[in-house]
Amino acid sequence: MAEPLRVGIVSFAHPHALSYVAELRQLAGVAVRVTDPGPWRDGDDRGRALAARLGVDYADDLDDLLAWGPDAVVIASENARHRADVERAAAAGAHILCEKPLATTLDDAHAIRDAVRAAGVTLTVAYPVRFARAFGELRELHASGRLGQLLAVRGSNNGKLPGDRAWFTDEELSGGGALMDHVVHVADLVDGLAGADPVAVTAVVNSTLHDVPAGLETAGLVTVAYADGLVAAIDCSWSRPASAPTWGGLRISVAGTGGSVDVDFFGRSVQGIAADDGRAIELPYAPGTDGDLIGEFLRAARTGVQGEPDVEGGIRTVAVALAARESARSGRTVTLTRGADGRLTFTPDAGS
Amino acid sequence: MSKETVVALIGAGGIAEFHLPALLTTGARVVVWSQEGAPELVRRFGGEIAGSFEEALGVADVVDVATPTDTHHALASAALLAGKDVILEKPVARTAEQVSDLRRLSAETGRRVFPGHVVRYFPEYATLHAAVRDKVAGELAVLRFVRSGAFPARSAWFADPARSGGIILDLMIHDIDIARWIAGEVRRVSAVARRIDSEGDVCEAAHVLLEHDSGAITHVAGVWGPPHIDFTTEYSVAGTGGVLSHSSSATKGLVADVRPGGGPPPSVPASASATSPFALEVADFLRAREAGEDARVTFEDGARAAEIALAAIESTTTGQPVLLDAVGAGTRG
Repeated sequence: MAEPLRVGIVSFAHPHALSYVAELRQLAGVAVRVTDPGPWRDGDDRGRALAARLGVDYADDLDDLLAWGPDAVVIASENARHRADVERAAAAGAHILCEKPLATTLDDAHAIRDAVRAAGVTLTVAYPVRFARAFGELRELHASGRLGQLLAVRGSNNGKLPGDRAWFTDEELSGGGALMDHVVHVADLVDGLAGADPVAVTAVVNSTLHDVPAGLETAGLVTVAYADGLVAAIDCSWSRPASAPTWGGLRISVAGTGGSVDVDFFGRSVQGIAADDGRAIELPYAPGTDGDLIGEFLRAARTGVQGEPDVEGGIRTVAVALAARESARSGRTVTLTRGADGRLTFTPDAGS
Repeated sequence: MSKETVVALIGAGGIAEFHLPALLTTGARVVVWSQEGAPELVRRFGGEIAGSFEEALGVADVVDVATPTDTHHALASAALLAGKDVILEKPVARTAEQVSDLRRLSAETGRRVFPGHVVRYFPEYATLHAAVRDKVAGELAVLRFVRSGAFPARSAWFADPARSGGIILDLMIHDIDIARWIAGEVRRVSAVARRIDSEGDVCEAAHVLLEHDSGAITHVAGVWGPPHIDFTTEYSVAGTGGVLSHSSSATKGLVADVRPGGGPPPSVPASASATSPFALEVADFLRAREAGEDARVTFEDGARAAEIALAAIESTTTGQPVLLDAVGAGTRG
């Protein structure tokens, strides 16, 4: 029997890591080992104890995990730690699945690209909605020409305030609030549909919802103009009430000269109402897509052939989120340009 | 009513088809003048035909300007200077200078201008306004509005931005007005837009972002798509108290699946109320005029909505957000 594929997981910081563990453990021919050395806030359910409860092997730290010789590594650490973790894992020759957003600065995002290029490994960005069947249908409608030329996209990715991990609202680790958390998923769907560079980004934000550290945005609206003329708008707000029956959802509407398509990725559910207090019952039944994402990651790891969403898409999409943060700060539209070195940079308008 | 109100309806195009029957339901006497189409309009709905604009103005108590946008200022000015109150289809004017001039003229003549922001009379928006007023959503944080339909190909002037102002000034101004009605004054606006003209088939779309004085933020989306698409509207209003949302396509009182027939999709969205929102609107205007009270929507509301929309258009050309001055002062650079 062939050696199992060794898959390391770096950190339980992102709760998706638990889902990846579950997906990986049910696959034959895959060995899984986790490290989660922290630091993290007292009381968070992480580390060796969580690994033990999940029944997955544990390594003391990243050195220990890499010494095991993983073929592939999932980076699910806090956003600001992605760069350092990717650089180490790539240098060790592991193919990468990196949690979104790719990084918290454009410098870090480009360093991640340079690291995987230098090591000759693949990097898949963890955008599971990409793998939804409805997105495939949308892409086919576009490819067939029935949508015509694309005019505009609007998307909303509204969730509850992330409560299970404190670092989501710690700007040092997350890179920001709702803009860093939820802009990139919609931006990635636009990227997967059209693939053009974002050229101008405008954002407005506030912190009206929830009790969060001062200055952290909990609601945000972003517009993006792309190099091919497409315009998009994204609502990334944590506007789903804590009492809601589900975490939230993601919708996009695409308008073209041939018509329009609306997709509600998490909308299919059994709905009802509870007799005792009248609360809404919502039982989503759309199959999850984390398994498909893991499938693509393992395919890339086994073959060494890069698929999607790749590091370039990860840069284009996180650039939208980072430019949105700069726009919200300055009150100006932020312009993105691709330099001769292939790097995206953004500058507030010279008139500011 | 002590005396029969005489309304001069100027224009016989798409929106006049809604204004004329609405005016007639109020019991007003309506005389119609238009460069073209008045006989056909009166044959369909009733009313009388005037021989000239001057003749219509001469008999009127109220002038209803339902003409292409670029003619609003001249016709409304003439009516105000003749001492008439005015019902003025949105947008109130094509340029910021024209808006300011109408503001000045209305003040100087002491005559009323009622802007045709009919969406305030659609029950789903009136209900939203009342719920927000009653703090159902708490303090407002983030609002989204969508208005999407076929490009208005019924008359050529819509496709000429110099005349119509394009999708932001003609269509999205409805939701700009609603956003301001719901969440208060707007201090900054930005927009991105796309227009595709392939061999005369025009499609247009835009996204407008608003920052309200309250700190609330709004996204207004507009689509003028191909001829077959339905007219649909949506909104979502989130605050500290919860989320209020509506989708016209998901909330239909009647769904028919019958043998295809009839014409193209309607140019205005269907309303849930038995009385047309246009009838509610003109009845409110005529009542407010008689009583000397404000209507649900005032001239200043219409003027502000136009100024915000025009600032959004400016943003699409400068590529930067535009700051709006306090009420009545236009924009600053």
